[in-house]
Amino acid sequence: MALEDFAAQADRCSQCSYCKWIPFDQVKSWRFAKNCPSIAYHNFNSYSARGRYAVTRSLLHGDSAYTDTVRDIAYTCLTCGACDVSCKVCRYNLDPLEMVRELKFRLVEDGQCLDEHLAVIRSLRSDQNTMQQPSSARGAWAEGLDVPLLPADKAEVLFHAGCRFSFDRSLHKTVRAAVTLLRGAGVDIGIMGDWEMCCAGRVYAMGYRDEFERMARANIAAWTRAGVKTVVTSCADGYHAFKRLYPELGSQIEVLHTVEYIARLIEQGRLAFRSEVPMTVTYHDPCHLGRQGEPYVPWDGVEKKIKGQIITYEPPKPRYNGAWGIYDPPREILRSIPGVELVEMERIREYSWCCGAGGGVREAYPEYSSWVASERIEEAKATGAEAMVSACPWCERNFMDAIDAKGETMQVYDIVDLVQRAIAGEA
Amino acid sequence: MSLPKDIYRTLEDIVGTENISDDPAILDSYRYSLAHTAIHLGPFYDTCTPRGAAVLMPGSTEEVQAIVKLCNKHKIKFKASSTFWSAQGYPSEDGAIQLDMRRMDRILDIDEKNMFAVIEPGVIGATLQAEAMKVGLNTHLPGSGCSCSILAGATSYFGSGPSNLYGGWHYDNLLGLEWVMPTGDILRTGSLGAGCGWFCGEGPGPSMKGVARGFLGAKGAMGVFTKCAVKLFAWPGPATLPTEGTIPAYRVKLPDNFKAYTVAFPSWKAWADAAYMIWDTGIGYLAHRQFNMFGRELKHAMVKILTDPTKTLSDLETLLEDPEVQRITEESMRDFQIILVGMTQRDIEWQDKAFDEILARTGGWKVEAMLEPEIHDWSMLYLIRLGHKNLNLVFGGSYDGCFGLLGAADFGAAHAEEASEFKKEWEKHGAVVQAGGDCMMGPIGGQGGGGTCLWENFTCFDPHDKESVEGTLALFDAATAMGIDRGWGVGMEKWNAVARGPDGKTTPKEERDRMHKDTPQPSMFRYQHKVREALNPNDLGDAYYETLED
Repeated sequence: MALEDFAAQADRCSQCSYCKWIPFDQVKSWRFAKNCPSIAYHNFNSYSARGRYAVTRSLLHGDSAYTDTVRDIAYTCLTCGACDVSCKVCRYNLDPLEMVRELKFRLVEDGQCLDEHLAVIRSLRSDQNTMQQPSSARGAWAEGLDVPLLPADKAEVLFHAGCRFSFDRSLHKTVRAAVTLLRGAGVDIGIMGDWEMCCAGRVYAMGYRDEFERMARANIAAWTRAGVKTVVTSCADGYHAFKRLYPELGSQIEVLHTVEYIARLIEQGRLAFRSEVPMTVTYHDPCHLGRQGEPYVPWDGVEKKIKGQIITYEPPKPRYNGAWGIYDPPREILRSIPGVELVEMERIREYSWCCGAGGGVREAYPEYSSWVASERIEEAKATGAEAMVSACPWCERNFMDAIDAKGETMQVYDIVDLVQRAIAGEA
Repeated sequence: MSLPKDIYRTLEDIVGTENISDDPAILDSYRYSLAHTAIHLGPFYDTCTPRGAAVLMPGSTEEVQAIVKLCNKHKIKFKASSTFWSAQGYPSEDGAIQLDMRRMDRILDIDEKNMFAVIEPGVIGATLQAEAMKVGLNTHLPGSGCSCSILAGATSYFGSGPSNLYGGWHYDNLLGLEWVMPTGDILRTGSLGAGCGWFCGEGPGPSMKGVARGFLGAKGAMGVFTKCAVKLFAWPGPATLPTEGTIPAYRVKLPDNFKAYTVAFPSWKAWADAAYMIWDTGIGYLAHRQFNMFGRELKHAMVKILTDPTKTLSDLETLLEDPEVQRITEESMRDFQIILVGMTQRDIEWQDKAFDEILARTGGWKVEAMLEPEIHDWSMLYLIRLGHKNLNLVFGGSYDGCFGLLGAADFGAAHAEEASEFKKEWEKHGAVVQAGGDCMMGPIGGQGGGGTCLWENFTCFDPHDKESVEGTLALFDAATAMGIDRGWGVGMEKWNAVARGPDGKTTPKEERDRMHKDTPQPSMFRYQHKVREALNPNDLGDAYYETLED
């Protein structure tokens, strides 16, 4: 695809501003009705999907040119996909998320990059991670676990830790617990340690399509060489990359998020909880596990008008609108943990508010990124929960940083942390 | 056209650096594609409303006042808009300043006892309704849906919608008003002007509702309305809508005092008789001919798509071949939707009985397929929240209404078939969606019954397709000619012609004057001219406020 391929959509955008709000049928209050952090923070129309369609049209027509403002308009999009969900409550022939990704791709191709993103890209090229850390330190999180190390060892299931879990020491406990409890349940699981590479989902969301493809092909080749049949990850960004983006490049490997695997093990009776975890929690749906966690459906087709001017596709085009994301497994897990009381925020599932870490925003716009997280923390506090639970290290890190910055008392957990407590009998 | 630097800096001082921009890309996101809707100027292929000189986002009445005074000092045109549903919210002339009111979005008060809310321009229908429901109240939503500013509907444009019947048009509902007048003076109207609070639009302070609104509203051309109070009405339902289902087929199951029906009639006369009887009987919470906007031949197939999250428009042709869908489509040819809400169980039982009697007397019937639980609950949510108005543009990306037959139920009913046949013939040309000619949608009457029905015949087309846009324009021109020939009066396509010119932007004054003189009530425009002369001496609005000088 190229930006020009979205010219028709730019003209056909309803200009209705549905992209700025959660689906209206789900609005429960004035306070938590907005869905798009970008327009909520910056306010100018241009920072919404509707506005970005207009900016795209303006650029394509040559009516405006690249400026710092244009770069901000593009790069402040978290690519969280909330606009896409709300748009598609009514529209079947618009894809605002794909459009804004394409806008970012074009900016990068034209050299309109941000220094903060380029630092990430350099790290990716030199050390195969986005964290600007040496690749030799990637496997340190698993020290002492005695887990098969692929490709030298063999395992049917590969656990992919991802960049954030690998290099954020305070989060190591989560991935260590994930591997431990999966192995304890009899799963034939291994890791790649220092040889693991970034999924590149985050650089894709920044606009670096070529870098993404390079890394994706390298990962697919490494998995093939290692004979892996299934990849499991606790990172929602990685899950989205593997599940939705890699198949476009030929990957046919099964992809599961840890919550799917754990929910499956609980259902099969292979995980048993021994102790209570007395805690009132609320669950934050990561964008890349929830609304963007729908399975990839191959499509190679064209637009076809019926009844004169009704726009359809031949063959029918897959519709990604968040309907079939991963929402229930984490909730089933939480409800099955003795002592845990799950209370829901107003914006959940496909219309969840983003954590603020995605799309390169955490790296390039830290103040805005922190505000987005703070908004979610306020929503969590309104439920009366004492802890926010999620299933993505990027969400968790952004929440923890915002909580620290504001001196809040809200606790943040990965869902695996609570499962581990209930299994290990920790108080 | 950019602003002189000193003026820009002064405006920047008023609203703050982060709330003003003249970056071309930002300005271009405040332009409306004129290929979209004729009522709002177009359709003109590849043409947009003019680019403003700057966009400002004021955060208070004081900031608005300072901006307006500066505009008067330097004779700069300005245009305020809140939720930008249509082109009428954007500047229609080069060099104007766009005020985006979205930062002023607070619900200042919900007075439960006196049943009104005090709001700022950026408050949309969905959020006001959600907050009102928490205290057992509801707000009328304009036909443009719950994404739109309630203040804009109450002060500046039309304000009609499905809940006219019980909740009142927004011109009925407007109470106290804070108005930064075109000169920058602040006028507080109704009881607010006498320091008595927001509860009344007509006094004991100055009653300026007619002056402020004019015919159909001044559309942002006569100053800026910064706060207003609107009437709320009873909501005997849950404090929060218990929405369930898979997107986009959300639905809501409400208590037994809520009933949603799609009813149909053997003739248009019977349809109109039923409307009159509903008004006479005093039943109904909202009533609207809603799903017919998809077209007489497509509507039930569309309902099937919209209530099944696995289906898309690509399933339409297959559904249309389904004999059951065909049967229901035929059965519901002359239909409308109605929601009955009982304030007590006895009330709903009586309303239900009365409605059955109305159907018996008119030969009407309930469309059984629309009573299937999932379709019923979807329909209920659709009409109460009115959060799917973007479906207006679902087919080709754009729509507009031709034959806006605005009048008593008999008026539209008498001409519906002729107008539909005319449109159906045009549909064969291929420029617009072939939907069966009759795509007429609109509310069933005004508050308390009586009043008017609106028959807006939806015309869906592709704004990216030049032939589609030009073919639609030709249809609208032909519809205008037919409406004049038949003596049906001003239709929607005529409203379009009033505003548009050969460049798609404005119409020369002489041409506008001629059109206004030809309307059934030209004095209305003469009156508005006098209002403009008196209150907007520097003429800093635009042609959307329609005036006649003679």
